[in-house]
Amino acid sequence: MTVSLSAQHVVKRYGGVVALADGHLEVRSGEVVALLGANGSGKSTLSKIITGVVAPNEGQLQLNGQPITFASPRDARRAGIAAVYQELSLIPDMSVAENIWLTHEPYQLWRVNRRKMRQDTQKLLDLFGGTYRASLTPDAPINSLPPDERQIVEILKALSFQPRIIILDEATASLDSQQVDRLFDLVARWKSEGMAVVFVSHRMEEIFRIADRATVLRNGRHVGDRLMQGTTERDLVNLMIESAAQPHAHERPPLQADAPVRLQVENLQAGPIAGVNLTLRDGELLGLGGLQGQGQSELLLALFGALPISRGTVTLSGERVRYGHPWEAMERGVAFVPGDRGSEGLLLSRSILENMHLPSWAKFGFPLKMRQAEAEAQRSADELRLVMAGLGAPVSSLSGGNAQKVVIGKWLLRSPRLLLLNDPTKGVDVGAKGEFYTLLNQLRAQGTAILFYSSDDDELIGLCDRVLVLHDGQVSADLRGGDVTRVNLVSASMGGGGAVVGG
Amino acid sequence: MTSQTSSGQGGVTGLLGQIGRVPPALLALILAVILFFVGGLLNPNFVNANQAVNIVRLAAFLGIVAAGQTLVIISGNEGIDLSVGGIVTLAAILIYRISDGNDTLLLPALGVALLAGTLIGVINGLGIIAINIPPLVMTLGMTGVIQGTILVVTQGELIGDTPPLLAQVIAAPGPLGIPGVVIVWVVLGLLMWLLLERTTYGKQLFAIGVNRRTARLSGVRVPQVVIATYALSGMLAAFGGFVLLGFTQTVFLNLGGPYLFPSIAAVVVGGTLLAGGKGGYFGTMSGALVLTLIESLLRAAQLQEAYQLMVFGLILLALLTIYGRQRNLRQ
Repeated sequence: MTVSLSAQHVVKRYGGVVALADGHLEVRSGEVVALLGANGSGKSTLSKIITGVVAPNEGQLQLNGQPITFASPRDARRAGIAAVYQELSLIPDMSVAENIWLTHEPYQLWRVNRRKMRQDTQKLLDLFGGTYRASLTPDAPINSLPPDERQIVEILKALSFQPRIIILDEATASLDSQQVDRLFDLVARWKSEGMAVVFVSHRMEEIFRIADRATVLRNGRHVGDRLMQGTTERDLVNLMIESAAQPHAHERPPLQADAPVRLQVENLQAGPIAGVNLTLRDGELLGLGGLQGQGQSELLLALFGALPISRGTVTLSGERVRYGHPWEAMERGVAFVPGDRGSEGLLLSRSILENMHLPSWAKFGFPLKMRQAEAEAQRSADELRLVMAGLGAPVSSLSGGNAQKVVIGKWLLRSPRLLLLNDPTKGVDVGAKGEFYTLLNQLRAQGTAILFYSSDDDELIGLCDRVLVLHDGQVSADLRGGDVTRVNLVSASMGGGGAVVGG
Repeated sequence: MTSQTSSGQGGVTGLLGQIGRVPPALLALILAVILFFVGGLLNPNFVNANQAVNIVRLAAFLGIVAAGQTLVIISGNEGIDLSVGGIVTLAAILIYRISDGNDTLLLPALGVALLAGTLIGVINGLGIIAINIPPLVMTLGMTGVIQGTILVVTQGELIGDTPPLLAQVIAAPGPLGIPGVVIVWVVLGLLMWLLLERTTYGKQLFAIGVNRRTARLSGVRVPQVVIATYALSGMLAAFGGFVLLGFTQTVFLNLGGPYLFPSIAAVVVGGTLLAGGKGGYFGTMSGALVLTLIESLLRAAQLQEAYQLMVFGLILLALLTIYGRQRNLRQ
């Protein structure tokens, strides 16, 4: 049975704001279509329209050539359309099986058939067999799972509806490379079985790997379709942004081998970190790589005083330090951009001003010198080219890339000497990424030492002179210069790879 | 987003949506003024300067007791202080007993009362932070401890007296016929605004109310802020006891009890989010005015006590429904 879905000239307005001015998308059996666009281009609105989450103001949806309207996501699912979102829709206190089968539990007479539910869940989990920890079972509660495994459950939940058309909206953002590979194997299988797939991602490399065609949106308008064969990354980026800035084309400041050592870590043990050594000099950008959840976040948290250190030493600018609270690290010029903006980096309902100065209010005296605080925040916002209605607007009104600028801005206001970054470009659009890379290089030129974890290998390759790959809480490879390649990163992240060197 | 669509709808929902966009503190204040004149319709004697002064004076007691409650509720994580009633009583009894009607001992007695209130607040904070007891349970338990202690120490015999100076400062009409308590309340209002909006503590208080993990990772010492907040709440409740004694000029074992639930209601009617992280003291002041007015109105309408309670409860529900809508609209 073949299937096709098309959206023609769809428009969505929220009050006076036009989120989608002219959306257009077509997908057929056996096809993977990538939906591309910078943040705010309308691609999430378009994907929400085809999954029945929001209703369009104008335009038409056609399923297998017949006009159709969806009153709810339930309607869309009944028509065979299911979506996987990056913002997880799972209920934390319920088990994996309960979440997957929520609203369509298998019944035996009047009771939920728990045995069948568990068995079916296990069958689904087997699709990703070998890429997750043993603790992921049908009975595991969601809140016990790390982000990548939650994302897998989210994918399986969509699959449990046996869709004919599946929308993957940034579904790979928290998966590691092995899990992504598996997902892509599955996508290939779905294609051959006649399913249609819509793939939304910021990762260009992934788009080239699995998509047959790309549909590009810019500022709410469909600006073109490209067959992946015969197009280039440059071409797509040009379509996505008006002034195409190649994210990876930038000058790196020269590495200064004799710069003073800012941070020295010896045999550090904290949580899952099992003996890490590293040295970081002023003006150096040291990358941290590896699969998700190998201890990268914990290493950064420990260096910021947010996770107790059980053994080992940390030396900052020649002085041995041991922090009981992040505040003590901040006093010594350490800054930390956490991995999860919403839950760790921002006060969503508070103003941009309050978010920017949260670490620094004390310096404005009593009563707080608000005019000075506003002037400083405004300057920082201008430097970061923050697009906002005003400093008084709540952070929740900002797009992902702009919200991340607030998180970074609040630390730049303190002129940090050591900057710890936990996957800072996750879910940030291409344009904002480019600005961020430029900023990192400026900071390096000013002598800031930067420790940078990224789940995007291309980013590490493009930015870092040196990358430590973590595996099971240990450094499995210390890659330098020309050795920072995708092949080396991937092999080291699987636990194999280069010489194990510390220091 | 939703706010735009709601304006298109007619009828009650549309109207509620419109009302929902006015800032809560202002809404409560407007409501207070309307209620005052509604009182005039029911009973022409209701609207006059004396009555207005009287209502503001009654609202001042509630408002002062609710000041600490405002801080605790803003601090989030189910923050609530059920021990304010007990602290009010304890503080009044302490001042009554220590000063024993002696004007010169009034300030030292006030000092002891404030210290006791602060100490109880610190213990509340420690229990909540160090032993992880939910605020509701911790402060409720503390109420029991305070009442028990009062009984054990006084053996039920409340001896002492109110210093004439206190009664004069609080209850007697001051300049322009405005009672001292109202002036005290207005000054407290300004100080609370300064505390919430113009100090590092205030900014950090809102931060922990919204998201404690973000606050901690931005260098806020969350435990210290929480303990300081409960300590302030205890101290402000003790100050409430001081003011209340000036009005009643006598003490009894349940002096502060009746103020506990109105103190929470005033905060919420004033638009402070029960979930924490959003609100302010001007809202609470307006809330205290609204609650006092409703009570006075019901009394002026000469309804039976039971009906007064029922109507009061229904009005509260209606108010909170409007605020609930507003929250949905803003999200």
